[in-house]
Amino acid sequence: MQTSVKEQAHPHGAQGPAIELRGVDVRYEQHLALDSVSVVIESGLRVAVVGPNGAGKSTFFNLVSGLLAPTRGEVRVHGHAPGQHLCLAYVTQANQLDLNFPVSVWDVAMMGRTGQLGLLRRPGARDRELVRSSLERVGLLPLAERQVGELSGGQRQRLFIARALAQEADLLLLDEPFAGLDLPSQDKILEILDDVRAHGVTVLFATHDLELAAQKFDRILLLNHRCVAYGTPVEVLTQPHLSAAYGGHMQLLNTAEGRLLVGDSGGHHHHDAEGQHG
Amino acid sequence: MAEWLLEPLGFAFMQRGFLAAVVVGVVCAVVGCYMILRGMAFLGEALGHATLPGLAAGYLLSNGDRSVTFFWALGTAVLTSVVMGALSRNTKLRQDTAIGIVFAGMFALGIALISSIRSYAVDLTHMLFGNVLGVTNSDIWLILAVSLAVLLAVALFYKELLVISFDPVLAVTLRLPVRGLDILLHVMIAVAVVASLQTVGIALVVAMLLTPAATAFLLTKRLKRMMGIAAGIAAFSGVAGLYASYYLSIASGAAIVLVCTLVFIVVYALRRWRPLSKPVESKSPAH
Repeated sequence: MQTSVKEQAHPHGAQGPAIELRGVDVRYEQHLALDSVSVVIESGLRVAVVGPNGAGKSTFFNLVSGLLAPTRGEVRVHGHAPGQHLCLAYVTQANQLDLNFPVSVWDVAMMGRTGQLGLLRRPGARDRELVRSSLERVGLLPLAERQVGELSGGQRQRLFIARALAQEADLLLLDEPFAGLDLPSQDKILEILDDVRAHGVTVLFATHDLELAAQKFDRILLLNHRCVAYGTPVEVLTQPHLSAAYGGHMQLLNTAEGRLLVGDSGGHHHHDAEGQHG
Repeated sequence: MAEWLLEPLGFAFMQRGFLAAVVVGVVCAVVGCYMILRGMAFLGEALGHATLPGLAAGYLLSNGDRSVTFFWALGTAVLTSVVMGALSRNTKLRQDTAIGIVFAGMFALGIALISSIRSYAVDLTHMLFGNVLGVTNSDIWLILAVSLAVLLAVALFYKELLVISFDPVLAVTLRLPVRGLDILLHVMIAVAVVASLQTVGIALVVAMLLTPAATAFLLTKRLKRMMGIAAGIAAFSGVAGLYASYYLSIASGAAIVLVCTLVFIVVYALRRWRPLSKPVESKSPAH
């Protein structure tokens, strides 16, 4: 009786790629958001998804999460169509939820259990323990009784990661989780993501910050409607790739201190804080 | 005082009125919590008006049999919400535009049907403003049955309805039957609307759905508590409204809604004076 829905829903092992896209197009009206994208992402890695505004980063996430069907081509998550998984968690850009909604931090983390519980069943001891330990791992257990709107932006991102942990997700999609966050909040989240990676969870992380991508990630997926490059930071962050993705707006300089990314205005490149939809 | 309170209860029609007002109020308040959280206020207004052709057709076909009329109205409300949903999904029209077009057309159809009945004015007034004191025994059973069904559905699907209301993207990635749950919520709203036609009528249904729920929203930060408080306010308003109607000789539906509104004003003033917490500026989506 205790066979959970989760075990039945994804009979894949830890081996094999987490995500495979083969010749994927996504077309909105006349506009081609993704153009014959093919990429294989191994499981257990932390992958930065980077590219200019409107390059298709959010579209890529919507595709992998199963919110969107490709116009052409094939998407596989752990070998299956995206719609067949409960093991995937998607944290959308922060501005899409009603923060006055009358739910507590605990309630939001418990929502992660809804899929596994199935219809007509109430949370049991194991669900409560998962929610408790997930909140503890992201440092929010003391705030469990707060209403969601009473959290800071960084705490809220941590809550959504906790919800993914409670869901027992092994693929975590984060769409610009650092937009509008200060550096200490960002560091805290990176620490949590280290812990998450240690447990074999694959993390895809959309960002504008190429420095961050180069320093903290195993792989970089560089998108500009097409898949410009996918590989380790050293493989991806080359002058030809960056020119292909950003045109003349991004320069790569080799200096004594190592490589340096320079924006076209001549100053250091910082990721722009304004939110955007790719 | 006791005599003053007990006197109206001596009449069977008043007993039925109290029961109907309380039960319908509770159901509307609970369903209304989802509506105000999901921004469906206009849908409630529209569904109330859109039932008019169903009421008229049921009335004409059954010679005024109320249970038959009830199911005609319910069918019309469900059909209307399905058509509204399909129209906004399949065209580039915004949802509020789709709702506006469908409900005005339905309301006009209702008026056209009613104008073909001889005693046009009297019947139209009853449909528009309800008549809780005219509730019969069979009406009461029908109201109790459908109200229990709605409350049971809320209890059974509470956690799923919470997820689709708070975070639709999560609902999809958790593989919840989003479309089915959406239809369930719309059917529950339609049932609540039709059940309250008898008590407050088409014109004031929206107040029963929104005002107690909105008042409760100002008082708590938990959904379950919000539903409980909203139900309590609605039940109180139903009872107090009928006393007001009895002793002040004012229309029962209007009296109930006025009590709801009064409670809202008092709570609002209280919250201005002593806030629960600062409201959070929800950032609007980027486009």
